[in-house]
Amino acid sequence: MIARRTLRTAAFVLIGVAMLAPLYLLVTNAFKTQQDIVGSPFGWPDDGFTLDNLWRAATSTDFNVVGAYGTTALLVIVVNVLSVLVAGPASYAIARGVRRGHRIVLLVMLAGLFIPSQTIVIPVIYVLKTLGLMGTLPGLVLFQTALTIPTTLFLFTAFVQSIPRELDEAARIDGASRLGTFWRVIFPLMRPAVATAVVLNAVGVWSDFVNPRIILGPGSGIYTVTTGVYSAISKYSTDFTIVYSNMLLAVAPVIIFYVLLQKRIIGGLTSGAVKG
Amino acid sequence: MPRSNAPVGVGGVASAAPPAPATSSRRRRAARTDLMTDAVMIGPAFALVVAFVLIPIGIAVYLSFTDWDGFTIPPDWIGARNYTRLFQDPDVLRAAAFTAVIAVVGTIACNALGLGIAVLLNRNTRVNTVMRVLVFSPYVIGPIILGFLWSSILGSNGAINSVLTNLGAERLPFLADPTWAMVTTLLVIIWASFGVNVVLYLAGLQTLDDSLIEAAVIDGASPWQTFWRVKLPVLAPTVTLNVVLAAIGLLRVYEIVLALTAGGPAGTTQTVVFNILTTSFSRSQLGYGAAQSVVLMVVIITVTVVLTQLRRRSELAVSA
Repeated sequence: MIARRTLRTAAFVLIGVAMLAPLYLLVTNAFKTQQDIVGSPFGWPDDGFTLDNLWRAATSTDFNVVGAYGTTALLVIVVNVLSVLVAGPASYAIARGVRRGHRIVLLVMLAGLFIPSQTIVIPVIYVLKTLGLMGTLPGLVLFQTALTIPTTLFLFTAFVQSIPRELDEAARIDGASRLGTFWRVIFPLMRPAVATAVVLNAVGVWSDFVNPRIILGPGSGIYTVTTGVYSAISKYSTDFTIVYSNMLLAVAPVIIFYVLLQKRIIGGLTSGAVKG
Repeated sequence: MPRSNAPVGVGGVASAAPPAPATSSRRRRAARTDLMTDAVMIGPAFALVVAFVLIPIGIAVYLSFTDWDGFTIPPDWIGARNYTRLFQDPDVLRAAAFTAVIAVVGTIACNALGLGIAVLLNRNTRVNTVMRVLVFSPYVIGPIILGFLWSSILGSNGAINSVLTNLGAERLPFLADPTWAMVTTLLVIIWASFGVNVVLYLAGLQTLDDSLIEAAVIDGASPWQTFWRVKLPVLAPTVTLNVVLAAIGLLRVYEIVLALTAGGPAGTTQTVVFNILTTSFSRSQLGYGAAQSVVLMVVIITVTVVLTQLRRRSELAVSA
């Protein structure tokens, strides 16, 4: 018993160090001079901690942190809202559908689960050009929303199928339309599935790099956090005062957000994922 | 969400009429409005998927038979030449081999770590909650920043090599030597990916029926036996989900490599997606890039189908 506990503790320490050490370096080195980062990356700095790097990174013209965060937050919110608005009713119609057409439509849309977005982004440029949306945020929003639909639909359809049909029938007898039945009766029950989808899609949009980089392009002047931090860091990858401070600026809000909401984020992922 | 249901309300009421002897024309009208409502409900989602996934796939397939450079219109049709070329292209083959290694080793590692750590963290104690948050954190931070972070730790002037030089030791070529770089990249990818599997396995473990495990314990099963003989078989569908998701995710890995090694040294850590994007953009060979994309899609679908079929047997073994 004691041996098992020791083993368990050892495993915890090992995992803890493996996960925390990189983050420790990221946070502490953002406050050190280049000399100290190279001289004692893990230890206490000779010159003390400084806010200079962070200040320079925050005010640099390469990467407008506030702007980039605004863009990314906007994308995350709009894509999530659109995705639920569009995939919700679709999942209900498909889950309750009895025709073969419903199954075919579902299968066609689920095919998107297996398509790496990086391999279709080049053709998507031409679709967006045709629509006059290339290089614009609405264009990126539409593409990112489309990319979230297969997963969202998959989660939602499985969940709706677990909700008894008697509920819809009761609502219909009370005179509700099918759309009304969905939004007022079924959708409120779907919270676990919605939570899972929102977490997955939010992380997907937040960490998306290829699509904003290609669709918005460096010429548009619109940066997300990932494309902004990439252009800020990749040019100066040997200047650690730039690298660490920019990384910290890029992750600090998301880490705070994550720690505050960890219960909902991890819980959200587990709640809707196990159904179906 | 207050919504007007006027346009479909009439049909809804009609079709919800009690099963009194309705005339067949009335029933047909009800069925038609139902179908219209279905179209309204499914339409937007379907249109988005068609416009931004299916049509682009079609364009990619078409472009893969051309030698398009992004300018000449219309692109020149060159038949299957892109496909014969890619199977002889050393860059493509090297990227494919490296990606295959990442997918195979990574899937095994992510699932072994994912399941093992999930079992370790299954009980809802405070320490376990903290550990779960830590293990899942790379997923939230995202591959671009993780790639840069590890490159500033493992680069030739990175944190670890700084410590080694300060101690008077030799630098280690984590990212400078081709073999080292490939191993480093693989390990960083696993480090960044297994957290999702931990969470998904935790979700599966929470659905386990406690009475099943109690029964096993009463029957004198050791924790080891309970795990292999009771928990793992019941978790079969969760294992399938994790294996498939890990494999698909690893086959398309790109961002973390871009930020960690930028494909170097000498292109040895380029993955398939990396190669597709460099071919298409830096070298303006969009037709050739499209052909590689099509092959990757086919590989991913094949891998998914094969894995699901293989796993179906062990899933059936449980339900039987």
